[in-house]
Amino acid sequence: MDGHLNPLIQMKAVTKTYQTGGAAVQALSEINLQVQKNEYVAIMGPSGSGKSTLMNIIGCLDTPSTGHYFLGEKDVQSLSDNQLSEIRNQEIGFVFQSFNLLPRVSALKNVELPLTYLGIAQPERLRRAAEALDSVGLSDRKQHRPNALSGGQRQRIAIARALVTQPALILADEPTGNLDSKTGEEIMALIQKLHEQGNTVIIVTHEQYIAEQAARVIRLLDGQIESDVSTKARGNRPNH
Amino acid sequence: MRLFENITLAFQNIKANPLRSFLILSGVAVGIGAVLHVVVLGELTQKRINERLEQLGSDVLRIRPGYSWRHGVRTEARAVSLKWAEAKALAQQSQAIARTVPVYSGSGDISFLDKNWSTQVTGTTPDYESVNNESLVEGRFFNPTELSQRARVCVLGATVYQKLFKNESPIGKTVMIKSKPFRVIGLLAAKGESWSNPDDQVFIPLTTAQERLFGVDHLSSILAQMQSAEDYDESLFDIETLLRQSHRLPPKAENDFRVHRQDFFLAAIQETNKELAQFIIVIALVSLVVGGIGIANVMLISVTERTREIGIRRAIGAKKHHILIQFLTESMILGLLGGILGVGGGVVFNHFYIGEETLLPLVWVSYSFIICAGIGVLAGIYPAIRAANRDVIDALRYE
Ligand SMILES: Nc1ncnc2c1ncn2[C@@H]1O[C@H](COP(=O)(O)OP(=O)(O)O)[C@@H](O)[C@H]1O
Ligand SMILES: [Mg+2]
Repeated sequence: MDGHLNPLIQMKAVTKTYQTGGAAVQALSEINLQVQKNEYVAIMGPSGSGKSTLMNIIGCLDTPSTGHYFLGEKDVQSLSDNQLSEIRNQEIGFVFQSFNLLPRVSALKNVELPLTYLGIAQPERLRRAAEALDSVGLSDRKQHRPNALSGGQRQRIAIARALVTQPALILADEPTGNLDSKTGEEIMALIQKLHEQGNTVIIVTHEQYIAEQAARVIRLLDGQIESDVSTKARGNRPNH
Repeated sequence: MRLFENITLAFQNIKANPLRSFLILSGVAVGIGAVLHVVVLGELTQKRINERLEQLGSDVLRIRPGYSWRHGVRTEARAVSLKWAEAKALAQQSQAIARTVPVYSGSGDISFLDKNWSTQVTGTTPDYESVNNESLVEGRFFNPTELSQRARVCVLGATVYQKLFKNESPIGKTVMIKSKPFRVIGLLAAKGESWSNPDDQVFIPLTTAQERLFGVDHLSSILAQMQSAEDYDESLFDIETLLRQSHRLPPKAENDFRVHRQDFFLAAIQETNKELAQFIIVIALVSLVVGGIGIANVMLISVTERTREIGIRRAIGAKKHHILIQFLTESMILGLLGGILGVGGGVVFNHFYIGEETLLPLVWVSYSFIICAGIGVLAGIYPAIRAANRDVIDALRYE
């Protein structure tokens, strides 16, 4: 029904096979998927069902074994390693379950890092990184190192880092998985806010309440899409 | 990614593992320190040899006794065959030889008041002063009258003066040489130490040395000054003819004396020095290579330890060459720090080992830094390529 619009994400018969030892593990099989701009999508499914694999492919950290993945206009298979780096840098903000921050540098430096690779000069970098930290409520922790901060605060740094290049797409793979439920709720409120500000958000989660925030829930089972349900009632999809 | 950030990063990582970094640096440091030491030592020796050449002049030959030969067999004893009369005869009979200076040297104690010093006592003639280009700080060399009178007068070398006197004029003072009183009449300027110390000597008339102190009638050596350096072949012929005749050597017997041309002697030393320097440089190169391998090893460990970091950087947009340059910068800085340590160590070592004259060849210092940085970069290439080519997902999952 959104066929006349160019989808932000389009997957055609994407499969992913891992070769471990002698055995081949089919992590994803025949995935067909479209995600429009400004959508808020939750991906659910049991452990090992292929959620992370799907997110990694969407985030251009990994590439499909077969099939086609288009991000905007671009056919990801045809891109060079450098172009993939640029996409990860400028068009995607990735939030991981395990935070993935550099432990030995300050919160500010962590947030600054994507801008460094974007080639932005230091004063501008500092300004934008500080701004991103402000927006996640960490203005008073800029000079702290991640290991001096709580899990919730670390995930906020990671979110600030994901935001700082103003990407088209925010991906979060179980962002609350390492957090207690109260902190998890705070992080989810933050992600909800990002969506309300107009970001496209895809989130992997086990929590039903989180899924209910999203306008669309995709369930994976054994590397296949088991169901793809839009809950329009919540009204989070763009009006049309 | 700017250079400055890579450098800051490199220092952070070096600081995070200070001991490991230091141990690795020291390999490169020792190598470059050795190179620097050889260079300084080489330049210094060359300088001294040049100075000595100027002092000696290339027109002076030194005749020393060789071994005695009996019935074609070399006896172990040193010949005691050189005589003053032969020195005089050489100067008179050879057209090529302008002057000769007889020398007899023996060891002996010299004392002044409560100070005592063991030195070389050299008996010679007044011509020694000009043939050997001696210059006097104070007083004079002894004269022909004192020579013929077997006078108890002496001229001090600079080292002897330092050992016995304290900033006072030695002229007119009485010193004891081998327990006999001598009047000091002159003080020689320092010539500087090279392979031996010519300043650690006291000069007295040859007659006094032979008859009053040592009771001998032979010489330790004869200095023969040629009319010019080109007269070498003729001089040599005349010396051989005269001495063989005088020593009654049969036609087939070997010479029982040797003739050294002083500048040849120095050239030989120079050659030895060069060989020594080459040898040390080879050792230094080996230790530089070992140091380089050390850096490569540390970088490999570092790349493995920081796999996760590499994954994170790649995930948020670092390109392969960003990672490559980051690790290359780090290994270059490791090499450079080794260079700084080595140059610093070399300077300190040279200062204590060679002494006050230590010159720091700036050209070589800058070469050192370039070499060390180069070694760092070379050593870092393989680890850096490995880092850059890590699979992003694998790196992110690395525990
Ligand atoms: N790098 C990998 N190498 C081998 N097998 C993998 C790799 N990544 C994922 N898998 C396998 O693929 C399947 C899907 O994994 P994943 O996408 O992580 O699942 P989920 O995130 O839903 O728990 C699992 O069977 C997992 O073991
Ligand atoms: Mg997962």
